[in-house]
Amino acid sequence: MRVELTEMLWFEEHVVSLSELAELTGLPAATLEELVSSGAIEPIDASAAEPRFGAVALSAARHARRLREDFDLDTQALPLVMGLLERIDALEQQLRSLRARSPGRPGRRSGP
Amino acid sequence: MKYKDYYAILGLERGATEDAIKKAYRRLARKYHPDVSKEPNAEEKFKEVAEAYQTLKDDDKRKAYDALGTHPAGQEFQPPPDWQQQWEPSGAWRAGGKSAGGQSTGGESSFSSGGFEGLDLSDLFDRLRGGGGRGGRGGARASMPGEDYEIAVPITVADAYGGTEIDLDLNMPEYDAQGQLRRVPHAFKARIPRGATDGQRLRVPGKGGKGFNGGRNGDLYLNITLRPHALYRANGHDLYLDLPLAPWEAVLGTSVEVPTPGGPVRLKVPAGTQAGQHLRLPRRGLPKPKGDPGDLYAVVLIVVPSVLDDAQRALYRQLEETSTFQPRAHFSEEGSYAS
Repeated sequence: MRVELTEMLWFEEHVVSLSELAELTGLPAATLEELVSSGAIEPIDASAAEPRFGAVALSAARHARRLREDFDLDTQALPLVMGLLERIDALEQQLRSLRARSPGRPGRRSGP
Repeated sequence: MKYKDYYAILGLERGATEDAIKKAYRRLARKYHPDVSKEPNAEEKFKEVAEAYQTLKDDDKRKAYDALGTHPAGQEFQPPPDWQQQWEPSGAWRAGGKSAGGQSTGGESSFSSGGFEGLDLSDLFDRLRGGGGRGGRGGARASMPGEDYEIAVPITVADAYGGTEIDLDLNMPEYDAQGQLRRVPHAFKARIPRGATDGQRLRVPGKGGKGFNGGRNGDLYLNITLRPHALYRANGHDLYLDLPLAPWEAVLGTSVEVPTPGGPVRLKVPAGTQAGQHLRLPRRGLPKPKGDPGDLYAVVLIVVPSVLDDAQRALYRQLEETSTFQPRAHFSEEGSYAS
């Protein structure tokens, strides 16, 4: 068995075109276009002639593919579900952030 | 190969209707799908459920599965001798097994005795998808992209601070020279760069399953999670540390040594520091891949001694008598009461 050392690529730095996004996620380009027009997937610069997609979009598109396959979602339901899940993510992130900021175990260290 | 009871996984009897299979899948997907579930083993559970459903929802695959007979779940078994002929008319099992053993894993063939060892039960049915004369095999072979592979990688605060190397042992589904899916062990070391933190994702291009016949290789995705630490709580690249102070330290101010991932640091606590206040230690949090590191915040707690001797109690009494401090002055402001 070969053992090799692999350098990681920062997910955040990856930028792809729509057709590359389709290839990377296995979603048809037409479905991706619909997801983009519904706002579920956002290009880096919406005004660019040839839209480019970053890590967030790649992650969202992979997510869309999973949801579509596993739940049989149609093109209307898909952006709706993704939007709701995104809101849950944002709320959870906020909750984590609040938990980090507030004292964890008050009085734990008190002693004589 | 180990037997899996796909019906039991879906909570069904053998002979369940197509509709019942679909309903059971939907119910379990709702419960265990990693995107919507908070169950502890959601991902693992969902994989089982999805695998069972993929096989049972397809009429051919279900018949092939039923033809394997019934075995206790988890028991080692071999498909009956005529199973291959019936469900894999081309006999591609043996051929596929042998050449894959020789080619892609580099020696150490695990398929010496009939072509089933080293296979997962699901691989049998994945093969049926491409087989049976419909594409994949036979005439012109279509190229197929390799599978993407996603894994969770928990790291410690120290790993995030200094970067780390992790050993990955993955059994990735790959196409062999015959276009058959099989599991190929891949071991490699991955270097997690410093600055990785909770919720971040790393993509390792081309390190997922190998593509077939010119199809691109799949990618490997690593989802970083940060293990909880006894002292630090992370929020992005910022760290939060509880800083307990005695009442007199908070009132008079002091200088304390606080731990940071990079080593202890002196922190000046100004006079009149309040509980809940955040004292910032710039750039003492987790490093970022680019730019300044995050900050470390000491979250002030004021803790009081639970045991006092007579002399100390007398001093507190004296303070009580001389102080004019009114911590609850705002309670008596107008508007505190409804009437």
